[in-house]
Amino acid sequence: MSRLHDMGGRYGDGPIPVPRNKNNQVENSEPTFKHEWHAKAWAITLAAGALGEWNLDVSRHYRECLPPKDYMNYSYYEKWLAGLTNLLVDKKLISIEELKKFISLVQEDTSTEDLKENVKLDKRTWLAKDVQKTLGWGGPSLRKTDITPLHKIGDNVITLKYNPNENVIGGHTRLPSYAMGCEGKIFSYNGTHVFPDKNAHGIGENPLPLYTVEFKASELWGLAAENGNDKIYLDLWEPYLKIKT
Amino acid sequence: MNSNNDHNLHRGQGHKKDDAHSHLPSDPELRVKAIETLLLSKGLIDSKTLDELIDTYENRIGPQNGAKVIAKAWVDENYKKRLLDDATSAIRELSYQGRQGENMVVVENTADIHNVVVCTLCSCYPWPVLGIPPTWYKSDEYRSRTVREPRKVLSEFGLNIDPKIEIKVWDSTAELRYLVLPIRPDGTENMNEEQLAELVTRNSMIGTGLPENSK
Repeated sequence: MSRLHDMGGRYGDGPIPVPRNKNNQVENSEPTFKHEWHAKAWAITLAAGALGEWNLDVSRHYRECLPPKDYMNYSYYEKWLAGLTNLLVDKKLISIEELKKFISLVQEDTSTEDLKENVKLDKRTWLAKDVQKTLGWGGPSLRKTDITPLHKIGDNVITLKYNPNENVIGGHTRLPSYAMGCEGKIFSYNGTHVFPDKNAHGIGENPLPLYTVEFKASELWGLAAENGNDKIYLDLWEPYLKIKT
Repeated sequence: MNSNNDHNLHRGQGHKKDDAHSHLPSDPELRVKAIETLLLSKGLIDSKTLDELIDTYENRIGPQNGAKVIAKAWVDENYKKRLLDDATSAIRELSYQGRQGENMVVVENTADIHNVVVCTLCSCYPWPVLGIPPTWYKSDEYRSRTVREPRKVLSEFGLNIDPKIEIKVWDSTAELRYLVLPIRPDGTENMNEEQLAELVTRNSMIGTGLPENSK
């Protein structure tokens, strides 16, 4: 079964919030960050991630695991912040007591300047001088392995009809529920990539073959498809797929 | 089935009653301030790093990068070939690489095919060439509807795709990041690469728009 983040195909959402300019033309260049706190929430999440205590799949899973009511009510960067807060506490980088103390400080508008002065940086802390280098390198998920992929381009496959995570009930996966139990065709093979279903739970990278799989709109949506011949492509790991017999 | 109950490991099926995030104040600005101040006071983040990150994505990394890639592909047939064949390497030729663009794929619009990119599970987006995603890309509306009714979604961007043209929707469910190569507008034969790059809008590289001057 799915979580709220897994919203592909869901009914009920209204028009796309497309920004338009004075002349009612689609606006292509809105500010990178609408509010200063958006920029801060984003940058703090990246900087905390660089401490090396978790990976990208773990941080995605923490956002997905927010209680459904919170997930729906929070704006985008509020989700990031909530996921980050839970991670910081779970990974023991901060304690709930410290968190409560600092919440009181900022709520009472107590000056915190002295708390931020003459602080000795942790040896894991990401330094400004390393930012460009680290961003340029990124975090590639492609791994060299000697695994031979099971499927060939053009093969017909069927996706599993339930959450494929074999290790954790309700665990992280990148097979969206709208494409579960559907027939598709292998469109391309992309090498072996870190497997999020395990990596999100700290049980190893376990790189596995990753395919791009083509689905006909009619297969995913039946009669509701706008145009049955339109295609939807998903990047799916081998354990998500069965051979069509 | 792994019976490990360590909450740190999996967060599994539910959430704790006393999850840390439930203590956060309702004003998001105060939430950020509390966490920022706490992490700064513990030396776990450095304010200069935050400034450098924000400055980088506000001023240096954005759709202007992707526009240069597209314009080059429009004027240089060999580059276009390399771009469609191995986008990561071809984009690196222009020094765009790294975080959230480690494995790039470029998909080409033609007279018969229109491509559009989405991430239904979160907000995956090719940062080195497009920067940080716009609000609409991260919205529930775009994430839920684009895979099911791409034509209706595109019409809300003012893009009405002929029923004879096939739509290909790319849902970024792994770490591959997609960039759309739009069709070069007619009547731009005399433009140079720099002028062409000016026509390439951000939305045209996601598939929710066309370059300027397109009919």
